[in-house]
Amino acid sequence: MNLRFKIRADLLDRVRIDLRRRHRFAHERVGFITAGLCTFAGGVLAIARDYRPVDDDDYVDTPGVGAMMAPDAIRKAQERALFARDAIFHVHTHGGRGVPAFSGVDLRENVKFVPDFLKVAPHALHGAIVLSNDAALGQCWLTRGDAAVPLRDFTVVGPATTKWGRA
Amino acid sequence: MSRLIRQGFLGENSDAVLAGLTVGFIGLGGGGSHMVQQAAHLGVGGYVLVDPDEIDLGNSNRLVSGTLADVTEKVAKVAIAERTIRSLQPRARVLTLKRTWQESTEDLKGCDVIMGAVDSVVARDQIEAFCRRFLIPYIDVGMDVVTLGKGAFLISGQVIASMPGEPCMRCCGFVTDEKLQEEAKLYGDAGGRPQVVWPNGVLASTAIGLMVQTFTPWHQRGTGFAHLVYDGNKGTVAPSPWVKQLAGMICPHHPEDQVGDPSFDVRRVLAERGEPERAVPVAEARHVDCDVALRPRVSRLWAWLRYLFGL
Repeated sequence: MNLRFKIRADLLDRVRIDLRRRHRFAHERVGFITAGLCTFAGGVLAIARDYRPVDDDDYVDTPGVGAMMAPDAIRKAQERALFARDAIFHVHTHGGRGVPAFSGVDLRENVKFVPDFLKVAPHALHGAIVLSNDAALGQCWLTRGDAAVPLRDFTVVGPATTKWGRA
Repeated sequence: MSRLIRQGFLGENSDAVLAGLTVGFIGLGGGGSHMVQQAAHLGVGGYVLVDPDEIDLGNSNRLVSGTLADVTEKVAKVAIAERTIRSLQPRARVLTLKRTWQESTEDLKGCDVIMGAVDSVVARDQIEAFCRRFLIPYIDVGMDVVTLGKGAFLISGQVIASMPGEPCMRCCGFVTDEKLQEEAKLYGDAGGRPQVVWPNGVLASTAIGLMVQTFTPWHQRGTGFAHLVYDGNKGTVAPSPWVKQLAGMICPHHPEDQVGDPSFDVRRVLAERGEPERAVPVAEARHVDCDVALRPRVSRLWAWLRYLFGL
Protein backbone atom coordinates (compact mmCIF):
# COMPACT_ATOMS: atom_id res chain seq x y z
CA MET A 1 0.00 0.00 0.00
CA ASN A 2 1.20 3.47 -0.87
CA LEU A 3 1.38 5.46 2.36
CA ARG A 4 2.02 9.18 2.17
CA PHE A 5 2.53 11.77 4.89
CA LYS A 6 1.72 15.48 4.64
CA ILE A 7 2.47 18.23 7.12
CA ARG A 8 2.19 22.01 7.12
CA ALA A 9 5.55 23.75 7.00
CA ASP A 10 4.79 25.86 10.08
CA LEU A 11 3.87 22.76 12.08
CA LEU A 12 7.04 20.95 11.02
CA ASP A 13 9.06 24.03 12.05
CA ARG A 14 7.39 23.85 15.46
CA VAL A 15 8.33 20.18 15.77
CA ARG A 16 11.95 20.79 14.86
CA ILE A 17 12.27 23.72 17.26
CA ASP A 18 10.79 21.70 20.10
CA LEU A 19 13.01 18.69 19.46
CA ARG A 20 16.10 20.91 19.64
CA ARG A 21 15.35 22.00 23.22
CA ARG A 22 17.72 20.59 25.80
CA HIS A 23 16.44 18.25 28.48
CA ARG A 24 18.02 18.07 31.89
CA PHE A 25 19.28 14.52 31.38
CA ALA A 26 17.95 13.05 28.14
CA HIS A 27 20.31 13.46 25.20
CA GLU A 28 17.48 14.11 22.77
CA ARG A 29 13.81 14.95 22.81
CA VAL A 30 10.91 13.00 21.38
CA GLY A 31 7.27 13.80 20.73
CA PHE A 32 4.15 12.73 18.93
CA ILE A 33 2.61 14.08 15.74
CA THR A 34 -1.13 13.53 15.59
CA ALA A 35 -2.69 13.04 12.18
CA GLY A 36 -5.91 12.60 10.30
CA LEU A 37 -6.17 9.89 7.67
CA CYS A 38 -7.91 9.42 4.36
CA THR A 39 -7.80 7.18 1.37
CA PHE A 40 -6.81 8.44 -2.05
CA ALA A 41 -6.68 6.66 -5.38
CA GLY A 42 -3.18 5.39 -4.76
CA GLY A 43 -3.35 4.45 -1.09
CA VAL A 44 -3.62 6.14 2.30
CA LEU A 45 -2.67 9.66 3.23
CA ALA A 46 -1.73 10.72 6.76
CA ILE A 47 -2.18 14.47 7.31
CA ALA A 48 -0.55 15.99 10.37
CA ARG A 49 -2.89 17.82 12.71
CA ASP A 50 -0.82 18.79 15.69
CA TYR A 51 2.33 18.11 17.68
CA ARG A 52 2.50 16.98 21.31
CA PRO A 53 5.92 17.09 22.95
CA VAL A 54 6.68 14.54 25.62
CA ASP A 55 6.56 16.30 28.98
CA ASP A 56 9.88 16.89 30.72
CA ASP A 57 8.89 14.63 33.60
CA ASP A 58 7.98 11.79 31.26
CA TYR A 59 11.58 10.91 30.38
CA VAL A 60 13.40 8.09 32.12
CA ASP A 61 17.11 8.45 32.79
CA THR A 62 18.44 5.44 30.87
CA PRO A 63 22.11 5.08 29.92
CA GLY A 64 22.79 3.93 26.39
CA VAL A 65 19.84 5.54 24.66
CA GLY A 66 19.23 9.13 23.60
CA ALA A 67 15.82 9.32 25.22
CA MET A 68 13.57 6.83 26.97
CA MET A 69 9.89 7.64 27.54
CA ALA A 70 8.10 6.79 30.74
CA PRO A 71 4.89 4.76 30.43
CA ASP A 72 2.89 7.92 31.17
CA ALA A 73 4.10 9.53 27.94
CA ILE A 74 2.79 6.62 25.93
CA ARG A 75 -0.44 6.51 27.91
CA LYS A 76 -1.13 10.19 27.17
CA ALA A 77 -0.56 9.62 23.48
CA GLN A 78 -2.80 6.55 23.53
CA GLU A 79 -5.55 8.61 25.15
CA ARG A 80 -5.23 11.09 22.32
CA ALA A 81 -5.54 8.29 19.78
CA LEU A 82 -8.59 6.91 21.56
CA PHE A 83 -10.56 10.07 22.26
CA ALA A 84 -9.61 12.28 19.31
CA ARG A 85 -9.44 9.36 16.86
CA ASP A 86 -6.01 10.58 15.79
CA ALA A 87 -3.31 8.57 14.12
CA ILE A 88 -0.17 8.84 16.26
CA PHE A 89 3.37 9.17 14.92
CA HIS A 90 6.27 9.10 17.33
CA VAL A 91 8.89 11.59 16.17
CA HIS A 92 12.50 12.41 16.94
CA THR A 93 15.37 13.89 14.97
CA HIS A 94 18.84 12.77 14.00
CA GLY A 95 19.78 16.18 12.60
CA GLY A 96 22.08 16.37 9.60
CA ARG A 97 21.08 16.48 5.94
CA GLY A 98 19.45 14.06 3.57
CA VAL A 99 17.04 11.20 4.16
CA PRO A 100 17.81 9.80 7.63
CA ALA A 101 17.58 6.19 8.78
CA PHE A 102 16.26 4.65 11.96
CA SER A 103 18.99 3.36 14.27
CA GLY A 104 18.96 -0.19 15.54
CA VAL A 105 17.65 1.07 18.88
CA ASP A 106 14.89 3.02 17.11
CA LEU A 107 13.78 -0.06 15.20
CA ARG A 108 13.86 -2.24 18.30
CA GLU A 109 11.89 0.24 20.41
CA ASN A 110 9.39 1.25 17.71
CA VAL A 111 8.24 -2.31 17.24
CA LYS A 112 7.80 -2.64 21.01
CA PHE A 113 5.38 0.22 21.55
CA VAL A 114 3.97 1.67 18.30
CA PRO A 115 1.78 -1.35 17.39
CA ASP A 116 0.21 -1.06 20.85
CA PHE A 117 -1.57 2.10 19.68
CA LEU A 118 -3.68 -0.23 17.57
CA LYS A 119 -5.04 -1.73 20.79
CA VAL A 120 -6.74 1.53 21.69
CA ALA A 121 -7.31 2.98 18.20
CA PRO A 122 -7.53 0.10 15.74
CA HIS A 123 -9.36 2.24 13.17
CA ALA A 124 -6.17 4.20 12.47
CA LEU A 125 -2.65 3.40 11.50
CA HIS A 126 0.20 4.54 13.72
CA GLY A 127 3.88 4.94 13.16
CA ALA A 128 7.24 6.51 13.83
CA ILE A 129 9.14 9.22 12.00
CA VAL A 130 12.77 10.20 12.17
CA LEU A 131 13.68 13.65 10.91
CA SER A 132 16.86 15.12 9.57
CA ASN A 133 17.18 18.87 9.12
CA ASP A 134 15.75 18.68 5.61
CA ALA A 135 14.09 15.29 5.17
CA ALA A 136 12.38 12.42 6.99
CA LEU A 137 11.83 8.69 7.02
CA GLY A 138 8.86 6.87 8.48
CA GLN A 139 7.33 3.50 9.13
CA CYS A 140 3.86 2.58 10.31
CA TRP A 141 1.72 -0.30 11.40
CA LEU A 142 -1.68 -1.06 9.93
CA THR A 143 -2.29 -4.22 11.90
CA ARG A 144 -0.69 -5.48 15.09
CA GLY A 145 0.39 -8.78 13.62
CA ASP A 146 2.39 -7.51 10.69
CA ALA A 147 5.70 -5.78 10.24
CA ALA A 148 6.02 -2.06 9.60
CA VAL A 149 5.16 -0.53 6.26
CA PRO A 150 7.40 2.31 5.07
CA LEU A 151 5.97 5.77 4.44
CA ARG A 152 6.54 6.27 0.76
CA ASP A 153 6.81 10.02 0.62
CA PHE A 154 6.60 13.17 2.68
CA THR A 155 5.16 16.47 1.55
CA VAL A 156 5.76 19.67 3.48
CA VAL A 157 3.03 22.12 2.46
CA GLY A 158 3.80 25.79 2.77
CA PRO A 159 4.86 28.87 0.84
CA ALA A 160 7.65 26.73 -0.63
CA THR A 161 6.17 23.25 -0.82
CA THR A 162 8.61 20.35 -0.89
CA LYS A 163 8.22 16.65 -1.44
CA TRP A 164 10.69 13.87 -0.89
CA GLY A 165 10.69 10.14 -0.56
CA ARG A 166 10.61 7.02 -2.61
CA ALA A 167 7.91 8.03 -5.12
CA MET B 1 19.61 19.25 -25.28
CA SER B 2 16.75 19.40 -22.81
CA ARG B 3 13.77 21.29 -24.10
CA LEU B 4 13.58 22.87 -20.63
CA ILE B 5 17.09 24.32 -20.78
CA ARG B 6 15.86 27.90 -20.79
CA GLN B 7 14.10 27.54 -17.44
CA GLY B 8 17.14 26.41 -15.47
CA PHE B 9 16.89 29.52 -13.29
CA LEU B 10 13.97 27.81 -11.54
CA GLY B 11 16.50 25.70 -9.68
CA GLU B 12 19.02 22.93 -10.14
CA ASN B 13 16.38 20.23 -9.64
CA SER B 14 13.44 22.09 -11.10
CA ASP B 15 13.00 19.69 -14.03
CA ALA B 16 12.74 16.74 -11.64
CA VAL B 17 10.49 18.64 -9.22
CA LEU B 18 8.09 19.61 -11.99
CA ALA B 19 8.18 16.12 -13.49
CA GLY B 20 7.36 14.67 -10.07
CA LEU B 21 4.32 16.88 -9.51
CA THR B 22 0.76 15.75 -9.98
CA VAL B 23 -1.50 18.72 -10.66
CA GLY B 24 -5.28 18.59 -10.57
CA PHE B 25 -7.16 20.79 -13.03
CA ILE B 26 -10.84 21.36 -12.32
CA GLY B 27 -12.57 22.99 -15.27
CA LEU B 28 -10.91 22.80 -18.67
CA GLY B 29 -12.68 25.57 -20.52
CA GLY B 30 -11.38 29.09 -21.09
CA GLY B 31 -9.15 29.28 -18.01
CA GLY B 32 -8.24 25.63 -17.48
CA SER B 33 -7.16 25.00 -21.07
CA HIS B 34 -4.62 27.82 -20.82
CA MET B 35 -3.26 26.50 -17.53
CA VAL B 36 -2.90 22.93 -18.81
CA GLN B 37 -1.07 24.14 -21.88
CA GLN B 38 1.43 26.10 -19.79
CA ALA B 39 1.92 23.23 -17.34
CA ALA B 40 2.74 20.93 -20.25
CA HIS B 41 5.24 23.45 -21.66
CA LEU B 42 6.87 23.64 -18.22
CA GLY B 43 7.29 19.88 -17.98
CA VAL B 44 4.79 19.08 -15.24
CA GLY B 45 4.72 15.28 -15.15
CA GLY B 46 1.32 14.34 -13.70
CA TYR B 47 -2.20 15.54 -14.48
CA VAL B 48 -5.65 14.80 -13.10
CA LEU B 49 -8.03 16.45 -15.58
CA VAL B 50 -11.61 16.94 -14.43
CA ASP B 51 -14.47 18.37 -16.51
CA PRO B 52 -17.81 16.76 -17.37
CA ASP B 53 -18.39 18.75 -20.57
CA GLU B 54 -17.68 18.50 -24.27
CA ILE B 55 -16.57 21.47 -26.32
CA ASP B 56 -19.35 23.38 -28.09
CA LEU B 57 -19.29 26.14 -30.67
CA GLY B 58 -19.64 28.82 -28.01
CA ASN B 59 -16.43 27.59 -26.32
CA SER B 60 -14.34 27.96 -29.47
CA ASN B 61 -13.69 31.67 -28.86
CA ARG B 62 -11.47 30.86 -25.91
CA LEU B 63 -10.77 27.16 -25.30
CA VAL B 64 -7.10 26.94 -26.18
CA SER B 65 -6.24 24.02 -28.49
CA GLY B 66 -9.92 23.36 -29.22
CA THR B 67 -10.74 23.21 -32.93
CA LEU B 68 -13.88 23.39 -35.02
CA ALA B 69 -13.37 19.70 -35.79
CA ASP B 70 -13.53 19.04 -32.05
CA VAL B 71 -16.82 20.96 -31.93
CA THR B 72 -18.23 18.83 -34.76
CA GLU B 73 -17.15 15.64 -33.02
CA LYS B 74 -18.23 16.86 -29.58
CA VAL B 75 -14.85 16.02 -28.10
CA ALA B 76 -14.62 16.04 -24.31
CA LYS B 77 -12.71 19.00 -22.88
CA VAL B 78 -10.53 16.60 -20.89
CA ALA B 79 -9.59 14.82 -24.12
CA ILE B 80 -8.55 18.10 -25.75
CA ALA B 81 -6.43 18.89 -22.70
CA GLU B 82 -4.82 15.45 -22.82
CA ARG B 83 -4.00 15.92 -26.50
CA THR B 84 -2.31 19.25 -25.69
CA ILE B 85 -0.27 17.63 -22.94
CA ARG B 86 0.76 14.63 -25.03
CA SER B 87 1.96 16.88 -27.84
CA LEU B 88 4.59 18.24 -25.44
CA GLN B 89 4.92 15.51 -22.80
CA PRO B 90 4.30 12.17 -24.54
CA ARG B 91 5.07 10.20 -21.36
CA ALA B 92 3.12 12.35 -18.93
CA ARG B 93 0.94 10.65 -16.32
CA VAL B 94 -2.51 11.81 -17.43
CA LEU B 95 -5.79 10.81 -15.86
CA THR B 96 -8.84 12.16 -17.70
CA LEU B 97 -12.08 12.24 -15.72
CA LYS B 98 -15.11 13.34 -17.75
CA ARG B 99 -17.24 13.94 -14.71
CA THR B 100 -17.76 16.44 -11.92
CA TRP B 101 -15.07 17.17 -9.39
CA GLN B 102 -17.32 15.81 -6.65
CA GLU B 103 -17.16 12.45 -8.42
CA SER B 104 -13.37 12.68 -8.71
CA THR B 105 -12.31 13.27 -5.14
CA GLU B 106 -10.32 10.06 -4.64
CA ASP B 107 -8.05 11.03 -7.53
CA LEU B 108 -7.91 14.70 -6.58
CA LYS B 109 -6.83 13.90 -3.01
CA GLY B 110 -3.52 12.62 -4.33
CA CYS B 111 -2.68 15.85 -6.17
CA ASP B 112 0.13 18.12 -5.04
CA VAL B 113 -1.82 21.23 -6.05
CA ILE B 114 -5.21 21.89 -7.60
CA MET B 115 -5.84 24.57 -10.20
CA GLY B 116 -9.48 25.63 -10.42
CA ALA B 117 -11.24 27.41 -13.27
CA VAL B 118 -14.89 26.98 -12.39
CA ASP B 119 -17.91 29.16 -13.00
CA SER B 120 -19.55 29.56 -9.62
CA VAL B 121 -18.72 30.95 -6.21
CA VAL B 122 -20.28 27.94 -4.52
CA ALA B 123 -17.97 25.58 -6.46
CA ARG B 124 -14.94 27.65 -5.42
CA ASP B 125 -16.07 27.58 -1.81
CA GLN B 126 -16.53 23.81 -1.85
CA ILE B 127 -13.28 23.07 -3.69
CA GLU B 128 -11.34 25.25 -1.28
CA ALA B 129 -12.89 23.44 1.71
CA PHE B 130 -11.97 20.11 0.11
CA CYS B 131 -8.39 21.25 -0.45
CA ARG B 132 -8.02 22.51 3.12
CA ARG B 133 -9.24 19.19 4.51
CA PHE B 134 -6.63 17.28 2.51
CA LEU B 135 -3.83 19.85 2.79
CA ILE B 136 -3.67 20.72 -0.90
CA PRO B 137 -2.74 24.20 -2.14
CA TYR B 138 -5.59 25.56 -4.27
CA ILE B 139 -5.09 28.18 -6.99
CA ASP B 140 -8.26 29.63 -8.45
CA VAL B 141 -8.84 31.82 -11.49
CA GLY B 142 -11.99 33.52 -12.66
CA MET B 143 -13.05 36.39 -14.88
CA ASP B 144 -16.18 38.41 -15.37
CA VAL B 145 -17.51 41.16 -17.60
CA VAL B 146 -19.92 43.70 -16.14
CA THR B 147 -21.71 46.52 -17.88
CA LEU B 148 -20.81 50.09 -16.95
CA GLY B 149 -23.75 51.52 -18.92
CA LYS B 150 -23.75 53.52 -22.14
CA GLY B 151 -22.24 50.61 -24.06
CA ALA B 152 -19.16 50.34 -21.84
CA PHE B 153 -17.99 47.21 -20.03
CA LEU B 154 -15.47 46.35 -17.34
CA ILE B 155 -13.44 43.18 -17.67
CA SER B 156 -12.35 41.97 -14.27
CA GLY B 157 -10.97 38.83 -12.72
CA GLN B 158 -8.97 37.34 -9.90
CA VAL B 159 -6.31 34.81 -9.09
CA ILE B 160 -6.37 33.46 -5.55
CA ALA B 161 -3.76 31.16 -4.06
CA SER B 162 -5.34 29.50 -1.04
CA MET B 163 -2.65 27.81 1.00
CA PRO B 164 -3.34 25.54 3.99
CA GLY B 165 -2.81 27.36 7.27
CA GLU B 166 -3.27 30.78 5.69
CA PRO B 167 -6.26 33.05 5.01
CA CYS B 168 -8.94 31.67 2.71
CA MET B 169 -11.39 33.01 0.14
CA ARG B 170 -13.85 33.80 2.91
CA CYS B 171 -11.20 35.61 4.94
CA CYS B 172 -10.48 37.93 2.01
CA GLY B 173 -14.15 38.55 1.29
CA PHE B 174 -14.18 36.86 -2.08
CA VAL B 175 -16.64 34.22 -0.89
CA THR B 176 -19.50 35.59 1.19
CA ASP B 177 -22.86 34.21 2.24
CA GLU B 178 -24.51 37.04 0.31
CA LYS B 179 -22.77 36.02 -2.91
CA LEU B 180 -23.73 32.40 -2.35
CA GLN B 181 -27.37 33.34 -1.74
CA GLU B 182 -27.40 35.60 -4.78
CA GLU B 183 -25.99 32.81 -6.91
CA ALA B 184 -28.55 30.35 -5.57
CA LYS B 185 -31.38 32.72 -6.52
CA LEU B 186 -30.06 33.00 -10.07
CA TYR B 187 -29.49 29.27 -10.43
CA GLY B 188 -30.57 28.09 -13.88
CA ASP B 189 -31.42 31.61 -14.92
CA ALA B 190 -28.06 33.28 -15.31
CA GLY B 191 -27.32 32.15 -18.86
CA GLY B 192 -23.74 32.13 -20.16
CA ARG B 193 -21.60 34.90 -18.72
CA PRO B 194 -19.50 36.84 -21.22
CA GLN B 195 -16.06 35.27 -21.67
CA VAL B 196 -13.14 36.13 -23.93
CA VAL B 197 -9.76 34.56 -24.50
CA TRP B 198 -7.22 37.18 -23.49
CA PRO B 199 -8.21 37.84 -19.85
CA ASN B 200 -8.22 34.08 -19.31
CA GLY B 201 -4.69 34.02 -20.69
CA VAL B 202 -3.53 36.72 -18.28
CA LEU B 203 -5.17 35.05 -15.30
CA ALA B 204 -3.99 31.55 -16.21
CA SER B 205 -0.40 32.75 -16.70
CA THR B 206 -0.49 34.48 -13.33
CA ALA B 207 -1.85 31.34 -11.68
CA ILE B 208 0.80 29.12 -13.24
CA GLY B 209 3.45 31.55 -12.03
CA LEU B 210 2.14 31.16 -8.47
CA MET B 211 2.15 27.37 -8.85
CA VAL B 212 5.75 27.33 -10.06
CA GLN B 213 6.82 29.67 -7.27
CA THR B 214 5.23 27.28 -4.76
CA PHE B 215 7.27 24.27 -5.88
CA THR B 216 10.40 25.61 -7.61
CA PRO B 217 10.73 29.14 -6.28
CA TRP B 218 12.87 31.55 -8.28
CA HIS B 219 12.88 34.23 -5.59
CA GLN B 220 12.96 34.23 -1.81
CA ARG B 221 9.39 35.14 -1.09
CA GLY B 222 7.22 32.04 -1.13
CA THR B 223 3.73 32.04 -2.57
CA GLY B 224 1.68 32.04 0.62
CA PHE B 225 -1.81 33.43 0.39
CA ALA B 226 -2.32 35.57 -2.71
CA HIS B 227 -5.34 37.47 -3.97
CA LEU B 228 -4.51 39.23 -7.20
CA VAL B 229 -7.12 41.40 -8.86
CA TYR B 230 -7.22 41.85 -12.64
CA ASP B 231 -8.55 45.05 -14.18
CA GLY B 232 -8.87 44.33 -17.87
CA ASN B 233 -9.72 47.94 -18.70
CA LYS B 234 -6.54 49.28 -17.13
CA GLY B 235 -4.51 46.21 -18.02
CA THR B 236 -3.29 45.65 -14.47
CA VAL B 237 -2.94 42.75 -12.06
CA ALA B 238 -2.45 43.95 -8.48
CA PRO B 239 -2.69 42.52 -4.97
CA SER B 240 -6.08 43.03 -3.36
CA PRO B 241 -5.98 45.71 -0.63
CA TRP B 242 -7.22 42.99 1.72
CA VAL B 243 -3.98 41.05 1.55
CA LYS B 244 -1.95 43.32 3.87
CA GLN B 245 -4.74 43.39 6.43
CA LEU B 246 -4.80 39.59 6.51
CA ALA B 247 -1.08 39.18 7.18
CA GLY B 248 -0.53 36.79 10.07
CA MET B 249 -4.24 36.00 10.38
CA ILE B 250 -5.25 32.49 11.39
CA CYS B 251 -8.15 31.36 9.24
CA PRO B 252 -11.22 30.70 11.40
CA HIS B 253 -13.12 29.00 8.57
CA HIS B 254 -10.88 25.97 8.11
CA PRO B 255 -9.43 24.92 11.50
CA GLU B 256 -5.97 23.45 11.08
CA ASP B 257 -6.78 20.30 13.00
CA GLN B 258 -9.78 19.44 10.84
CA VAL B 259 -7.88 17.47 8.25
CA GLY B 260 -8.39 13.96 6.99
CA ASP B 261 -11.53 11.89 6.76
CA PRO B 262 -13.27 11.54 10.16
CA SER B 263 -14.84 8.25 9.09
CA PHE B 264 -11.57 6.64 8.02
CA ASP B 265 -11.07 3.09 9.24
CA VAL B 266 -7.95 1.20 8.21
CA ARG B 267 -9.67 -2.14 8.85
CA ARG B 268 -12.27 -1.28 6.22
CA VAL B 269 -9.56 -0.18 3.79
CA LEU B 270 -7.70 -3.47 4.20
CA ALA B 271 -10.91 -5.49 3.89
CA GLU B 272 -11.89 -3.65 0.70
CA ARG B 273 -8.53 -4.47 -0.78
CA GLY B 274 -9.32 -8.11 -0.08
CA GLU B 275 -6.00 -8.99 1.43
CA PRO B 276 -4.31 -8.54 4.74
CA GLU B 277 -1.58 -6.00 4.40
CA ARG B 278 1.65 -7.83 3.77
CA ALA B 279 4.18 -5.44 5.09
CA VAL B 280 7.72 -4.85 4.01
CA PRO B 281 10.01 -6.12 6.76
CA VAL B 282 11.54 -3.24 8.65
CA ALA B 283 15.10 -4.07 7.69
CA GLU B 284 14.11 -4.07 4.05
CA ALA B 285 12.07 -0.92 4.46
CA ARG B 286 15.15 0.97 5.47
CA HIS B 287 16.79 0.19 2.18
CA VAL B 288 13.95 0.59 -0.26
CA ASP B 289 15.35 3.89 -1.40
CA CYS B 290 18.65 2.36 -2.52
CA ASP B 291 19.44 3.24 -6.08
CA VAL B 292 18.20 0.38 -8.22
CA ALA B 293 21.10 0.99 -10.57
CA LEU B 294 23.51 -0.13 -7.83
CA ARG B 295 22.07 -3.63 -7.60
CA PRO B 296 23.85 -5.11 -10.67
CA ARG B 297 27.14 -3.67 -9.42
CA VAL B 298 26.63 -5.23 -6.01
CA SER B 299 25.86 -8.57 -7.70
CA ARG B 300 29.04 -8.35 -9.78
CA LEU B 301 31.12 -7.43 -6.72
CA TRP B 302 29.67 -10.38 -4.80
CA ALA B 303 30.40 -12.77 -7.69
CA TRP B 304 33.98 -11.47 -7.87
CA LEU B 305 34.49 -11.96 -4.11
CA ARG B 306 33.16 -15.51 -4.36
CA TYR B 307 35.57 -16.19 -7.23
CA LEU B 308 38.49 -14.61 -5.33
CA PHE B 309 37.92 -16.62 -2.17
CA GLY B 310 36.79 -19.78 -3.90
CA LEU B 311 33.35 -19.71 -2.30
